[in-house]
Amino acid sequence: MTRTLARAASAACLFVGVGAGAQTLEIGYDQSPAGLDPHIATAFSTFAVINGTIYEGLTAIDKDLRLRPGLAESWTVSSDGKTYRFKLRANVKFHDGTPMEAADVVASIERVLSKDIGSPLASRLAAVEGASAIDASTVELRLKEAQAPLLLSIATIAIVPRRMQADKDALQKQPVGTGPFAFAEWQPNSFIRLAKHAGYWGAGQPKLDGVKFNLVPESATRQVGLTSGTYAMLPNIDAATALQLQGKPNVRITETLELAYTLVGLNVSKPPFNDARVRRALNHALDRAEIVQAAQFGKGVPGGPLSPALKDWAVDTKEFGCYAHDPAKARALLKEAGLAEPVTVTMNVLPRQDIKDIAQVVQAQLAKSGFKVELKNQELGQFIQDWRNSNFDMFASTNAGSPDPDDYFFRTFRSGGSTNVFKYSDARIDDLLDKARAASDQAQRKAMYDEVQKTLACDGPIAHLTYGQLFTALRGTVQGYEIMANRSLSYLRDTGVAR
Amino acid sequence: MPVRFLAERAIDLAIVVFGVSIIVFLMIRMIPGDAVAIMLGANTEITPERLASLRARVGLDRPLVEQYLVWAGRALSGDLGTSLWTGKPVVEEIAANLGVTLQLLLMSLTLGAGLAVPAGCAMARVRGGAADIALRVVTIAGITVPSFWLGIVMILALATLAPGFPSLGHVPFAQDPLGNLQRMLLPSLALGLPILASLSRLVRTAMLDALGQDYVRTARAKGLGERRVVYRHALRNALLPFVTSVGITAGYLFGGAIVVEQVFALPGLGRLIVGAIGERNYPLIQAAILMVTVGFVVVNFTVDMLYAAIDPRVRR
Repeated sequence: MTRTLARAASAACLFVGVGAGAQTLEIGYDQSPAGLDPHIATAFSTFAVINGTIYEGLTAIDKDLRLRPGLAESWTVSSDGKTYRFKLRANVKFHDGTPMEAADVVASIERVLSKDIGSPLASRLAAVEGASAIDASTVELRLKEAQAPLLLSIATIAIVPRRMQADKDALQKQPVGTGPFAFAEWQPNSFIRLAKHAGYWGAGQPKLDGVKFNLVPESATRQVGLTSGTYAMLPNIDAATALQLQGKPNVRITETLELAYTLVGLNVSKPPFNDARVRRALNHALDRAEIVQAAQFGKGVPGGPLSPALKDWAVDTKEFGCYAHDPAKARALLKEAGLAEPVTVTMNVLPRQDIKDIAQVVQAQLAKSGFKVELKNQELGQFIQDWRNSNFDMFASTNAGSPDPDDYFFRTFRSGGSTNVFKYSDARIDDLLDKARAASDQAQRKAMYDEVQKTLACDGPIAHLTYGQLFTALRGTVQGYEIMANRSLSYLRDTGVAR
Repeated sequence: MPVRFLAERAIDLAIVVFGVSIIVFLMIRMIPGDAVAIMLGANTEITPERLASLRARVGLDRPLVEQYLVWAGRALSGDLGTSLWTGKPVVEEIAANLGVTLQLLLMSLTLGAGLAVPAGCAMARVRGGAADIALRVVTIAGITVPSFWLGIVMILALATLAPGFPSLGHVPFAQDPLGNLQRMLLPSLALGLPILASLSRLVRTAMLDALGQDYVRTARAKGLGERRVVYRHALRNALLPFVTSVGITAGYLFGGAIVVEQVFALPGLGRLIVGAIGERNYPLIQAAILMVTVGFVVVNFTVDMLYAAIDPRVRR
């Protein structure tokens, strides 16, 4: 009966399915974005939908996380490193048909800096004093002080039409950018559809007629959607999902080492983690390789403060003394700090399955080294609030990385940094971070960041755990897509579907 | 006295709705986490001024009693507030999601309750044989299996048996009736089959009970055919507990619908509420839960009426 029904149904839909929109890429996407304004909504769920698809910045980042021209085709930097001049690409049009000019770039930068908009991205432009249009196709950025990572920082500052400078609502629902795809339709809890931007400046791009983000909360449903061909892509999935999809017919998996990391954060403003020896003990108690095996299916690497994906910057974890797994040493350090075993602490846990798994492994590892960790599984809103208010002993979480060390280090570890919820303060680190931000010589910056990494790895307020492999599952017919370590889907502009 | 009966039930209904409105109002304020801080988002820099201004805009700075009276007063005049995130009236947001859920409930209830009567009668008639035992095992399995598991298994099975059948996502009925029904079929089955299992067991028991009664024996003694005895005399009496159960089930179905909507990626009321709780969208949660509760109460009210219509003894 069921079989007859299924046969009849499949016969019926043969007539419906064929030839309909074969060049729209169907994506199975897990989370509904909270909004699509590129300067206001900055969560991954928004970023993946708009970055490099709807919106572009003056510069861009390629799949190797290296800088390339974006809406600016070239730029010059003054000798004191305080003035940047950008030459804009000709023939760039917004999706509403108006040409993109220097005034739009100035308006976008001022919008991010505006107190009224309150953009979370403002910290990336903290050094910017002002922007001005020299002529219709030249923009000048003046900095208060030299800031080497500026060119990478502005890659994620989307350029919006100047008429949107003071807007707070429209762009959240109806984004207008310059990218290869224009926003077409958003059915809440159902899908977001983008259509080809016919006036796109890139020759022969995009190849697709459109992209549809189907919002599917249930992981098992997304998987079946891909294996049955309903969806052609599941972007940025975890190892567990990827392993289940591996080897299925007509499914291809691509992967890269992720920029995001898993971590244990420590509150250094109160006992026991105000004592650097206890933080060191915690690092000795951790077995990072085991975490990768036990909680990430072996798909990842132990890591320090910077992702090994940042080949130009990251220090090898072998150079961090406290990364040697050594419970006896951990116990000795606790004793030295005058603490009686077990040292009881509470760990808040981000409500995400991989983090919950990691937290349990960490709990077990610490138990062997004189700690007694109570796990506190929290609802997301509560977790964020406690995080922001520094209301924790320790927490397990994950965080997005940045292509340049400055962006992450400065806001997280500088005294008074905007995400320094650990209340960490170290004069030497502050000094190094200030200098490295201003220096323009790569070797000099590298030397300073090496020292920062070595200090933070063992004494810092974060025990960096692992960098996971990031996966994207594709139907065999999808061509030209490249996965990116920062979760951007910007290579959709080069993606096509074979008929 | 039907009028007096009606009036009494209507007063009950009003009391329940009032009580629920207070519970809903207090409950969401007891969820840990400051709504205002969450609304500002994880990446925004939070300053006390920003918190205060948003708190005032949303009206969360006033005493609880005042907040409740303002809300209840406006709700009585039909204004349930605006969504904190989209700025749209919550009634609009709920209306946009309500259709999917109603269709899902209606289809699964039709399926579950509609098939339960013939299935239950058949089970009562084959009582005692091997077929009876087999059917009882199947129905117990049906009651035990959770809808979300059943849903995923059905998606998997269909993907293997009929890979071309569109089973995921949602298409509005007005846009593509066939596509809509195709996509609603599996969710309705996932939600309706456990109900079919439990209701058919209920019909079976009630039928067996009725078939043992004196009036059935009398009917048989009169020389009526077995079919006529079962459907005319026994079934009519057996339907009483069934009608009550269908009413209560309709309410509980909504709980199942939340899960099934997640599994099948349907943009219904359940997903709206779950999302609203996550983002502490107070006006939306309050309005949605209140409307669902009122729906539940009204269904029960209707069942009471129906019950009175079937059984004159209830009216006394």
